[in-house]
Amino acid sequence: MYRSGKIVRMNTSIDISHIRNFSIVAHIDHGKSTISDRILELTHTVDERDMESQLLDTMDIERERGITIKSNAVRVSYDADDGETYQFNLIDTPGHVDFTYEVSRSLAACEGAVLVVDATQGVEAQTVSNATLAMNANLDIVPAINKIDLPSAHPDEVKTEIEDDLAIPADDAVCVSGKTGEGIHDLLESIVFLISPPKGDANAPLKALILDSYFDEYRGVVATVRVFDGSIKKGDTLRMMQAEGDFLVDGVGVKRPAETPVDALTVGEVGYVVTGLKDPEAVRVGDTLTWASNPCPEPLPGYREAKPMVYTGLFPIDNKDYENLRDALDKLHVNDPSLVWEPETSVALGFGFRVGFLGLLHMEVVKERLEREFNLDLIATSPSVDYHVYKTDGEMIDVRSPQDLPEATRIERIEEPYLKAKIICPPEYTGAVMQLAIEHRGVTTDMIHLTSKSVEMRFDMPLAELILDFFDQLKSRTKGYASLDYEFNEYRPSELVKLDILLSGDEVDALSFIVHKDKAYGLARGLCDKLKEIIPRQLFEVPIQGAIGNKIIARSTVKARRKDVLAKCYGGDISRKRKLLEKQKEGKKRMKAIGSVEVPQEAFMAILKVDE
Amino acid sequence: MSVTALYVHVPFCAQKCRYCDFDSRSFAPCDLDAALDAYFEQLYARLDAFGNAGALAGIRTVYVGGGTPSLAGERLVELARRISRWCKPVEFTCEANPESLTSQLAAALAEVGVTRISLGVQTLDNAELAAIGRIHDADRALAAIATVKAAGIDVSCDLMCGLPGQTAASWERTLDGVLTAAPHHVSVYPLTLEEGTPLYRMACRDESLEPDEDFQAACMDVARNRLGAAGYHPYEVASYALDGHECAHNIAYWTGQGYLGLGRSAAGMLDAGDFARLAGLFCGALARGDAYRVRLVQRDDAATTFDAECLSQREAAAEDLMLACRMTRGVGSDLLVRSANIIPEDELAAACDRAFELGLASWVSDDAKGHAGRVTSKDVIEGRTRARLAPTHLGWLDGNVLFELFWDLA
Repeated sequence: MYRSGKIVRMNTSIDISHIRNFSIVAHIDHGKSTISDRILELTHTVDERDMESQLLDTMDIERERGITIKSNAVRVSYDADDGETYQFNLIDTPGHVDFTYEVSRSLAACEGAVLVVDATQGVEAQTVSNATLAMNANLDIVPAINKIDLPSAHPDEVKTEIEDDLAIPADDAVCVSGKTGEGIHDLLESIVFLISPPKGDANAPLKALILDSYFDEYRGVVATVRVFDGSIKKGDTLRMMQAEGDFLVDGVGVKRPAETPVDALTVGEVGYVVTGLKDPEAVRVGDTLTWASNPCPEPLPGYREAKPMVYTGLFPIDNKDYENLRDALDKLHVNDPSLVWEPETSVALGFGFRVGFLGLLHMEVVKERLEREFNLDLIATSPSVDYHVYKTDGEMIDVRSPQDLPEATRIERIEEPYLKAKIICPPEYTGAVMQLAIEHRGVTTDMIHLTSKSVEMRFDMPLAELILDFFDQLKSRTKGYASLDYEFNEYRPSELVKLDILLSGDEVDALSFIVHKDKAYGLARGLCDKLKEIIPRQLFEVPIQGAIGNKIIARSTVKARRKDVLAKCYGGDISRKRKLLEKQKEGKKRMKAIGSVEVPQEAFMAILKVDE
Repeated sequence: MSVTALYVHVPFCAQKCRYCDFDSRSFAPCDLDAALDAYFEQLYARLDAFGNAGALAGIRTVYVGGGTPSLAGERLVELARRISRWCKPVEFTCEANPESLTSQLAAALAEVGVTRISLGVQTLDNAELAAIGRIHDADRALAAIATVKAAGIDVSCDLMCGLPGQTAASWERTLDGVLTAAPHHVSVYPLTLEEGTPLYRMACRDESLEPDEDFQAACMDVARNRLGAAGYHPYEVASYALDGHECAHNIAYWTGQGYLGLGRSAAGMLDAGDFARLAGLFCGALARGDAYRVRLVQRDDAATTFDAECLSQREAAAEDLMLACRMTRGVGSDLLVRSANIIPEDELAAACDRAFELGLASWVSDDAKGHAGRVTSKDVIEGRTRARLAPTHLGWLDGNVLFELFWDLA
């Protein structure tokens, strides 16, 4: 099929100069969601009666935690004061380091960003980190000072802060109130005038970026895309340049926010493409779509495969749930293709799976969804990275679970993944950040003053150090002001040992983990103490020991529970007595019996709570 | 009529204790009389209804609990008098608090057939008494014990361990004092914090008020040793008695006997046959088709609404086993053999074996004294050997684990 030079009919599309693609970025609680909601309302995209706050975040867990995990793009039409109608594509971005890559792809689909700053709080940690991300992506920035309805609002000072701290001109900053709607009209006008329209060639071969995808039982994979050149319509045969596969377009449309089919997605536009593909993994975020018959020469830059960084064991507390867990993972995988797993067997926990995640937040979210949506009670074990173990016989094996580590005598060396980490924070925290990095085996490689209020530091550090509590620690030691980004660097040899935990003298494989030898003693002590807090007192004393090989390096003891009996007589109300007993038992249900020791779920994640 | 035990609840107190979550109300003195009058009228009416239905003829033990029954004074005497019109109990207990038990009341109660007074002594340390909101002092408590003995009837003392401010030394002093006063029966209860009580709220702010379980265990051990040495043998988790002075009424509870409950919040337990005969007395309470045992709790003063809980035959059997574990003698051969008709034998044997393995219970021969040599649970359950499964020291103090093992058979 020859298409070049033809003009595609587009009844719903609009001239490229009237398109504005942008994200809204903000520090947490500065009002990003309410402003999104007001925009949808003012442009009549959503009836007021249908308003449900945080329209863009759809998953329950997203709403509860106030975080965006998946990206979302909504199209609105805006009749501007100049008498013209503009097409706005509002692209939501995930807000956590686990999803940095998804953020970078979402920003790559925009020409501009609305930077929301709370008029009472001023510039805060994530304002700095998000503004930096947006500036690095070369976006036009529209500052919006929110919550001006509050008596304590001080917009003029906030303007000064935006100029001084972020080096963003604030003359054009718009004062708004997401609550009352005041100023939202001005904001929409500013978006028209301050954010550049997309550039691109409608007649060039298709070049479109995949921002996100989800799986629909009936239509297969549905991808959210941004068209940079060319156009997409139903019936086109498209090629995924990285995944190297073709598919026939079953339909295209936009979200308003309900899915609305359109004839075509043309240059500059954002919308969804129904691929009909039944394999969720076939479509990858960051991939470039082009025409199969007339492909563009080069894919868009910046593609990265979503690779799991962290592996943990997931085991059903009740072994009978093993098959249910497998089914649940299969189902979840459909709209979370980054999830990978393989069966794992533990002496202590029975049958389960070793599951790969993008990061710990991703793991928590997945575990919570499995428990909530599939009604499972799960134990997650200590997170691990993918170690490369070179055996004395010359073979290299991937070890993602401590229990797969061969005996020490059969190991020639172990290599672990190292990262290039980038931390941006205000200058007063550089000392604290460096200290934190050193504690986590990090080495500073570079330090650049970006503005008078922000410094970029680069570190070389092992991934294993980052997956535990590094991000939380970073946030707490910088009062939330630091932002973190990282990418894989290389594998390097490291002196690693396996630390085992024994309960009542028996090794519990699910509690083992791999650790750098310099940290083994401290961690073993910390872990034994933490487990002593977590494991409740029981019928017998429970000794807890930390060991490397045959050598015990730490110990603690859970004393026996000396008294556990309901003695009171309730005038013959035995039912009441029995109910108290049953209530006590209910608590035990979420524990795992290992030998004769009842171990609560959180014990298997105790390593995350150890203060060194 | 197979019901042999009657419980009567008197939900009134001069002042509620800070730890108490039983149903009891305190009234200003000016309103108390009227409230008691009204309440007792309803008790009398209910008693007559039971009597006329023929439910009281077989009663052998009566227990009037509270609340503070002694607060009712003359009304309590009248209640006892009315009860003895319907039955001739061999044991008749009234609970009393030291401050409201006068010698006249004790004598009057003895006169009308009360055989036993259970006194809420709790501790003989005045500071500890004040801390839990008791309105008597140690001297008053000791005097009350003497008063009951003077009236010629049995006296039992309730004691509590793990009270705010209590120490090993003060506990010893309390035990010394009580032993000197020489009651016939002693109960030792570890304090538990119940949600919604003032003490619970206080403990939320001040952790030191929370009872220390290790300390309570130590107190229970000391009590067992001291009381044992003085001739009080333990026969249930919390109960000690001189020979022949065990509380038959409480034993009925632990051995699955049926009982009637009278008064607001009083619990009764009937087998399906008795319940069917007496259903007219429990309006609105329905028994499931498979109900083998029905437990009823009266919800209001006028006895117009009831909570009914139905247990299947298997649940009742598991409950009997669980309750038997509260008794120092443990689960007897007969009960095990009977239970095996209802609960699959291998499950029953597994629970017994588990209790044995965990050290919670051991086999004691019924014939000779001491431990039976090489008893297997199967031999006992199948009737080849006669032995009982008695809680060990561990099974006594960590009884919940043992109870759970048997209740799990339901």
